[in-house]
Amino acid sequence: VPGQTVSELERRYARRGPAILELLRQVRRTRRRIAAADIDRIAAETGLPRAHVNGAASFYADLGFDDRAERHVQICDGTACFAARGGRDASVVETELRAAEADASTQPVYCLGYCYAGPAALDGESPHAGPDLVDQLLGRASPADPEIPFQSQVDEPVVFAGLTGGEDPWDAWHDVLAAGDRGRVIREVLESGLRGRGGAGFPAARKWQTVAESRTPGPRYLICNGDEGDPGSFVDRLLMERDPQRLLAGMALAAYATGAEHGYVYVRSEYPRARECLVEAVALAREHGHLGPDLDAAGTRFDVEVFEGAGSYVAGEETSLIHSIEGLRGEVAVRPPYPTDRGLMHRPTVVNNVETLCAVPWIVARGGAAYHRHGVAGSRGTKVVCLNERFRNPGAYEVELGTPLRAIVEDLGGGIAGEHELRSLQVGGPLGGFLSPAQLDTALGFDALREAGVELGHGSLIAIDERASAVDLLRHVWRFAASESCGTCAPCRVGTRRGLEAVESGGRAVAEQELLETMRLGSLCAFGRSVPQAVRSLQRTYAGELGVRS
Amino acid sequence: MTVRASVDGDDVLVEDGATALDAIRAAGAEVPTLCWDERLRPYGSCRVCMVAVDGSPAPACSTPLADGMEISTVDPPAREVARGALELLVSALPERALDVPAERSELVRACDALGIDRDRFAGARRSGSVDHSHPYLKYDPELCITCARCVRMCDEVQGTFALAMVGRGFETVMAPGTHGGDWSDSDCVACGACADSCPTGAITEPGLLDPQPIERTTMTTCGYCGVGCTLDVHVRDGEVASVSPSLAGPVNRGHACVKGRFAHGFARSGDRLTTPLLRRNGRLEEASWEVAIEYVTRELRRITGDHGPNAVAAISSARATNEENYLLQKLMRVAIGTNSVDNCSRLCHAPSSAGLIASLGLSGGSNSFDDFDHADCFLLAGANPTEAHPVVGARIKQRVINGASLIVVDPRRIELGSYADVHLRGHPGSNVAVFNGLAHLLLAEGYADEAFLAERADGLAELRELLADYTPEAAEEISGVPADQLVAAARIYGEAAHSAIVYGLGVTEHAHGTDGVRTLTNLAIMTGAVGTRDGCGVNPLRGQNNVQGASDVGALPDLLPGYQRVSDDEAASRFERAWGVTIDRKPGLRIPEMFDAALDGRLKALYVFGEDIAQTDPDSGKVEAVMEACELVVSQEIFLSRTAERADVVLPGASFLEKDGTFVNFDRRFQRARPALEPPGDARTDFDVIQSVAQGLGTDLGCPTPADAMRELASLAPLYAGISHERLDREGPLHWPCRSADEPGEATLYMDGFATPNGRAQLAAKPYLPPGEQPDASYPFLLVTGRRLVHYNAGTMTRRTDNVRLLNAERVEVNPADAERLGVGNGDTVAVRSRRGLVTLGAHVTDRVAPGELFMSFHFPDALANSLTSDAVDDVTSCPEYKVTAVRLDAA
Repeated sequence: VPGQTVSELERRYARRGPAILELLRQVRRTRRRIAAADIDRIAAETGLPRAHVNGAASFYADLGFDDRAERHVQICDGTACFAARGGRDASVVETELRAAEADASTQPVYCLGYCYAGPAALDGESPHAGPDLVDQLLGRASPADPEIPFQSQVDEPVVFAGLTGGEDPWDAWHDVLAAGDRGRVIREVLESGLRGRGGAGFPAARKWQTVAESRTPGPRYLICNGDEGDPGSFVDRLLMERDPQRLLAGMALAAYATGAEHGYVYVRSEYPRARECLVEAVALAREHGHLGPDLDAAGTRFDVEVFEGAGSYVAGEETSLIHSIEGLRGEVAVRPPYPTDRGLMHRPTVVNNVETLCAVPWIVARGGAAYHRHGVAGSRGTKVVCLNERFRNPGAYEVELGTPLRAIVEDLGGGIAGEHELRSLQVGGPLGGFLSPAQLDTALGFDALREAGVELGHGSLIAIDERASAVDLLRHVWRFAASESCGTCAPCRVGTRRGLEAVESGGRAVAEQELLETMRLGSLCAFGRSVPQAVRSLQRTYAGELGVRS
Repeated sequence: MTVRASVDGDDVLVEDGATALDAIRAAGAEVPTLCWDERLRPYGSCRVCMVAVDGSPAPACSTPLADGMEISTVDPPAREVARGALELLVSALPERALDVPAERSELVRACDALGIDRDRFAGARRSGSVDHSHPYLKYDPELCITCARCVRMCDEVQGTFALAMVGRGFETVMAPGTHGGDWSDSDCVACGACADSCPTGAITEPGLLDPQPIERTTMTTCGYCGVGCTLDVHVRDGEVASVSPSLAGPVNRGHACVKGRFAHGFARSGDRLTTPLLRRNGRLEEASWEVAIEYVTRELRRITGDHGPNAVAAISSARATNEENYLLQKLMRVAIGTNSVDNCSRLCHAPSSAGLIASLGLSGGSNSFDDFDHADCFLLAGANPTEAHPVVGARIKQRVINGASLIVVDPRRIELGSYADVHLRGHPGSNVAVFNGLAHLLLAEGYADEAFLAERADGLAELRELLADYTPEAAEEISGVPADQLVAAARIYGEAAHSAIVYGLGVTEHAHGTDGVRTLTNLAIMTGAVGTRDGCGVNPLRGQNNVQGASDVGALPDLLPGYQRVSDDEAASRFERAWGVTIDRKPGLRIPEMFDAALDGRLKALYVFGEDIAQTDPDSGKVEAVMEACELVVSQEIFLSRTAERADVVLPGASFLEKDGTFVNFDRRFQRARPALEPPGDARTDFDVIQSVAQGLGTDLGCPTPADAMRELASLAPLYAGISHERLDREGPLHWPCRSADEPGEATLYMDGFATPNGRAQLAAKPYLPPGEQPDASYPFLLVTGRRLVHYNAGTMTRRTDNVRLLNAERVEVNPADAERLGVGNGDTVAVRSRRGLVTLGAHVTDRVAPGELFMSFHFPDALANSLTSDAVDDVTSCPEYKVTAVRLDAA
């Protein structure tokens, strides 16, 4: 892996990577552009090769070498904002800003996590959202930064336990520490049937077991993946901003189970407030003796560091995320070796999603069996679904897995707002796929959704009304894919570009089905492998409009 | 452990840990690959090696093999994915990507294998302009397929980290160095690994821009440093088109450096000597071979007639083959009748030879380079391998990056110093104090292997007594190395399970260089790290390609071929019987003794074979006087060197690219040198030149061919009895000792006992003694001399290549504090004076050297470092003290 030797270099000489992205970000904060001299200086300061500093700088959307104005506005191009604009992408906002001669540079971004109130933009570090977004940005309307509406539909909220006034998440941690029983966390979580909420649905406790039992010497690491990259999902942002102690407690428990003494929360830079909240939460947790050295008589130690991403969807993939923490390009690496064996700094590493970890304190406190009673076979427990602004009642809802989509869409979401009609439902982000209104009887669950041709992903449900055309949606999906492909493997690197070119040229790719098959079977990671599924589900859902043979 | 898998229905057994691709290759099947390279970890990015694994498409290169796995290379869906991936990949390239000759493009071959002649996808292609900034590496980003092999070679094999992928998605492409910078501005050290691995020709070298096919390829051994890289020399139109490291090379494993890989242009340089030269009326004039040989032999006969055979001496060549060295020492011993033949190991590793023989028994490193693969600790002393032995330096660096610990002992901040756990920067000349200080700590802290010492070593009691005086504080007092750093280093070395000592001329080229070798070797003996399965021993890095071999085959005044003493009656009589002559039981003259004898009038004729003594020997002024004093100086050379310019006769020889024979590298491997080119003009191979001289003297040396010479050597030297050209050609390189044709050669020495007279290792109780020169008020700086990466030794070869575009002049390194005090700026011209000479050159202000110390190389004749160096020599071996010269520095 390019960079793998560099990260070994870092490990060997304790030259840790985060400095690189942070130092580059500092340049971005103070100047219009990053110059070659900055690369050389940062390389000299960190003792890392300048070619690799250059490579990292060029990879991330926040960094790069383009000129930026003092005022830099990131305009959300996520699917929810796209749907909110009636099927138009972020360029319309850029055009309007330019027409108004706003003294700002702009950049489309996937996504800011304001799907419930879009369209949205991040003006420096200030979020703005609402139908009058452009007016807000031009100072013609008062800025709006609406909070995330949330609700739990389960009797005893699990992930939303804290948000809805439940018990202190740290109680479970101190119980476990007092008992000194490392095995308990894994036992309970194993029994609970908890599967990762980041998209892949891997059983959480199995991952922990692998790390706990790994024969690779040296420290273990726990990483919380707060790179909630799936446009449409905002549950992780909600949890990181509003109940970060639950997340930290979940991390502490997972770390105890695996033997990790050091944890990272990787927060995407598109969520500046989440980062602030986490930094404060970590300080508070240390102050209260939840984190730090000597947590019990046995000298247990665990501490957490907050790491800010730099703009890359693929960085949500675990090998890419690890590279990013190491200060390298966020490229995907071939597996094996798996991070559970060779992860951060080539040590056994657990990467868990925010929502997954937030369920852990409750599971440990109430027992795995209590959690297991929720949900259906293969999809146990609760899931937070995120409904976008097109719904009458947008927001984050904790529901039992197995709940039919129709109940979520119609009862919780209240159907489509205004005079519009539901044309399709995008499930699980841009790589999850599209369902037609006729498919709403599908249950919310890993297997049921897969059978319907989509993926649960982060559990976002984006209602798309009749204003967005099929071709606009197809272009939206391909553009997202082409923008965020990390570029490592040939099928995804070139294939996403060819797909986009085919839509933009107004026709279909000469060899579209072959292209999709090559990407599906040949891509290195789930990103490239999932794009064809999203495209095909779109083609099915909009078969009439696209005139595709399906 | 093996794993059984099935490939296209055939069962195959492969090592545990193998990949599906390994199984496919083991089964003799083939799949195209692009991002895979056997030197690198699997990357899995091109997706061209897709095969069916248990029925599903998977990349062969990165799929770990499981027992019972069924692999199909012909599965239609998997092949369709591979084709699709390749078509997509090709669709981003300009059409000319497929016009590259197939033998230079894995991409073209992959397209042929998968039946792709054009792609089905229209759309954007790569754009970018060709970077021609580097003399040896041309980069065309339009042909980049982002396989990152170049980046990974640079990271995982070379360890320079000069290249990286930049951008993302479709725009991802390799870029050297910093943002927007040229290749020539990058950190590239021109090892060529990137070009060697590039599957498309995006990175290539000048000689391969010409699409004309290569006419022939010759596998040979590099003629630069002593690492002994196996090279493939590709020839077209009687010239070297390119050189690539051979994947079959057991030493270099498909890697090389800027010298071996690129610096071959000298071989056809316009100023190669192509005809003999004879001094007439004070000027060297062209002469025929007949006339030149006649002159040389007449003079030699006259001088031996008038003054006896010991009025003649020869300096043999560490760059020539074993067979040529064997022949020259035989010429001196048989045709002239003197033992006065020596080689330049006298000037570099004679202390290694003496020290290692005394401590362990044999004149060579104790372990094989392969043992470095499992070393967990390197003690690197007085060597700068990333410049002077780049392939070894790169390997050590990778081992260290992968977790081995590293202790560097060197006054200068060498590149590996920045990778070290501890860098002991003692004053030049203080090695013995440092090594004794470390030995003191090994004993004091309980790291000595008492059982090993009791069973296999002598001298502990005397050593223990001596070491009482070498507390860390005492060692600090002498060397300037802080006591706590000595403690840290001793603990790291002591804790290691598989420690390797690697050292160079910074240990040997001292007035007490042999003591340095012995006190360093003590450390390995004390910890049981030599002669054991775990230990990685004591390994000198030899300077020239065949400096080990020149001594091995007897180009030494006291030793016959195979380290048999001239004073050993039994051995000498064996040679006398074989050669039909009487051998003087008294050793002949060593090089410095030859010089003194010439100035005294005892030596009248000096035959210098492939050595530029006027540039490389210390105190150049004295060397010139020596040449002046001799009645006959013969220089057998490939260029008109400073020595040749001053000779009476110049005989044109051959470069390593034109030679047939063998070299012995630093880890005692006999390796074949095979001629890729003919010597130019009337030049002859040195083997033939020596034969001609012998014939002129009326002596038949036998050995009509190099293979015959090797055969005769093997018959007379038990250490090499099992080695022959035929066997080397059949089996590849062989380590000596190799005592019979059915022995594999001893890669690791002393497993069954040391080769000392009593079979036990000999610890040496040697006190620190000060170097020959000390700084004083008139000469307040200490000058250290050494090498730079892109040039080699006297520079006769490298200065005649485009390496001068990488470095075209020497600059003396000065510490910033000294520079400021003296008002010297970076690049300013300065004068460096010693008691013997003056050199005027540019200054390089850098903290690589400590305050009070200077460093310069001896590669450039206009910065004649050796006009400064001291004539102090090692008390045991007469090796000059190149590493410590008192000088003064003034702004010029």
